[in-house]
Amino acid sequence: MSKPAAYLKPTWARRQLELAYPLLPAGARVALWFGGKRLAAMGEDGPDLSEDAAGVQTFPLTLEGKMRGMLLLRLPPEAASAAEGIWGDFLVHSLQGVIEAEHARHSVAQEALASYREMALLQRAVTELNHSLKPAAVAASLLKEFDGRKNATDFGAVFLRDADDASYTLIQSFGENAADAFPRLIESRLFAAMAEHPLGDILNNLAEAPLWKGEIQEFQSLLWLPLAVHGENLGLLVLASRRAEGFSAADMKRAQMLVSVAASALRNAQLYAAEQMIFPAFVKVIATAIDAKSPYTAGHCRRVPEIALMLAEKAHLADSASFAAFRLDDEERNVLEIAAMLHDCGKMVTPEWVVDKATKLDSLSNRLDLIALRFEVLRRDAWIDCLRDSADGLPAAEQIYQERLRELDEDFAFLAKCNLGNEFMSPEHVGRIQGIAARRWCNARGEELPLLSENEVYNLCIQRGTLNAEERKIIEEHAVITIRMLSQIPFPRSLRNVTEYAGGHHERMDGNGYPRGLKGEQLSIPARIMAIADIFEALTAHDRPYRKAGTLNWAVEVMYRMKKDGHIDGELFDLFLSEGVYLEYARKHLAASQIDQVDVARYLG
Amino acid sequence: MITQNAKIAIVDDEVHIRALLEQTLEDLEGEPEILTASNGAEGLALIESERPQLVFLDVMMPLMNGYDVCAAVRKNPELAATTIVMLTAKGQESDRVHGLEVGVNYFMTKPFDPDEILDLARKILQVP
Repeated sequence: MSKPAAYLKPTWARRQLELAYPLLPAGARVALWFGGKRLAAMGEDGPDLSEDAAGVQTFPLTLEGKMRGMLLLRLPPEAASAAEGIWGDFLVHSLQGVIEAEHARHSVAQEALASYREMALLQRAVTELNHSLKPAAVAASLLKEFDGRKNATDFGAVFLRDADDASYTLIQSFGENAADAFPRLIESRLFAAMAEHPLGDILNNLAEAPLWKGEIQEFQSLLWLPLAVHGENLGLLVLASRRAEGFSAADMKRAQMLVSVAASALRNAQLYAAEQMIFPAFVKVIATAIDAKSPYTAGHCRRVPEIALMLAEKAHLADSASFAAFRLDDEERNVLEIAAMLHDCGKMVTPEWVVDKATKLDSLSNRLDLIALRFEVLRRDAWIDCLRDSADGLPAAEQIYQERLRELDEDFAFLAKCNLGNEFMSPEHVGRIQGIAARRWCNARGEELPLLSENEVYNLCIQRGTLNAEERKIIEEHAVITIRMLSQIPFPRSLRNVTEYAGGHHERMDGNGYPRGLKGEQLSIPARIMAIADIFEALTAHDRPYRKAGTLNWAVEVMYRMKKDGHIDGELFDLFLSEGVYLEYARKHLAASQIDQVDVARYLG
Repeated sequence: MITQNAKIAIVDDEVHIRALLEQTLEDLEGEPEILTASNGAEGLALIESERPQLVFLDVMMPLMNGYDVCAAVRKNPELAATTIVMLTAKGQESDRVHGLEVGVNYFMTKPFDPDEILDLARKILQVP
């Protein structure tokens, strides 16, 4: 409500009086008062005209039925006539018309300004309240609208409602000792009733509220509103005042508007949080599935992320120019962790017998057992030959038999050793296998066959490790499949690098890796970190089909050779050693027997 | 600074904006004198003759636009103490650079927030 004075502008009123004044007889004095002020006066100087003074005529000016001002008129006694009454009525009537029009205009404008205020408030609230996707931040923004402004509320709080048990938790509050007072409010009987109330309300005289036992002395009035979206109650806004009659309908209207925006923002925050939880949960499920597929690689997908993050942290802190562009913020940390957990996801489609192939002759069954049986047949053949020769009276029969047994045992022992895949197969080794294979034996159907099948020879002659070329290809396929699988996930922008990090862990700095044969400069730092983490975990894992758990020293030695060979990133490997990442990890995950002294200095540079 | 006889000018060709701004400013303490003009040329003349401390200036106006009024005020060293608040319509925010170049002090977007206008006026006129 504007001040009444605003309805009659002094300049305009003065002019109006000036224009009408000449109609009066000479010597007339006039004064115009409105809203407790003298707006204008005409006629000879002298003390102010007073309505009580003799000969002064008063013409009242009203506003909404109340007298707010007047026109005072006094004529010299000799000039008095009926005309001045008409003059006064006429002038007051025109002024009254202007006052009423101005009053109406002000009311309309007041309404328009209220809408402007509302719009501005909404605009600001929508921006502020949707600024964050964290429930606590939404609550803080909402409370800021009531705190620290003109006519601030004394106390305010936002409670979140647990959808499962309908309990309320205080998440944000303001006001003197608010953090202490509001938890006590939850305990009160009144709070239970407030929580039940679907629309919220004002209690302007708390002292007389039947459910209120004066739990919090400072609270004299309360305003509360549920934070609800689509009928779902997400929480409660509570404002409190030290005064009775602390809240008006206008306060409620303003709060309702803010709460409607805050509730949607809160809902968004909660949905976002739920969505944020689902994806990592799926990633974990996949990592667990891969780890569970093979007992030998159990925990690999869980441990590689740990090593990768530890090393990435050191690269982030390192002064070296090589890592200057590398930043490990929360987002990047998340990407790296997900990539590390999913780096082997392609192994889901790799056959177990390849993943677990412990020896060269492993397939769906262990073919070394078959060969052992054939050797047993040959041993018995030799025994039969010996018996026959003895019957024929051959004197050296027993000696020849012993000779042959020894030969067979040695050959079998040799094959069994080759089968382990621990040693490099030299041309001499291959020649000996081919020699053994050329021996003949007789199967149950009386067919005479070579002692070793072509495929057995092929597998036994694998130069390094236990996998033949075809099997190696199947294993290498997993990296391709990892990339193919991850490419199908519509990652949000923040996770768009997951595929590159996860799919690059078998690439080598010299470009001889797989599946893409990328070179060092084409590989991101996280991808190179992944390669180191993957290798180190594999080398130190407790149990692998192809060998026993390696010691730290041995693993570092192997990786040092990989660095020299252009397999892994030398600078990152140096960081891995100099910053003690290997040891930190070892202390956490390796058996004491694996942790031996590593002469780090020897492997740096 | 004592601003007993503070003067505020509103220069806008739209009568409802003038009326609403005027009414908003009536809430200020100390009853500042509020002057209005409905086009740029009239506005400049008003600023030059009345020397208001604070001017609310529309951008698009007949005869002389807000930028030109502002530039003319800035050229006159005697008007150096004038604070100019430009009222821009929503969507005209991109013209702010131009506004800054010609010496605008503050910008307000129409429809304006009455409380923001009051806060700004109180700050500039140093009234409670």
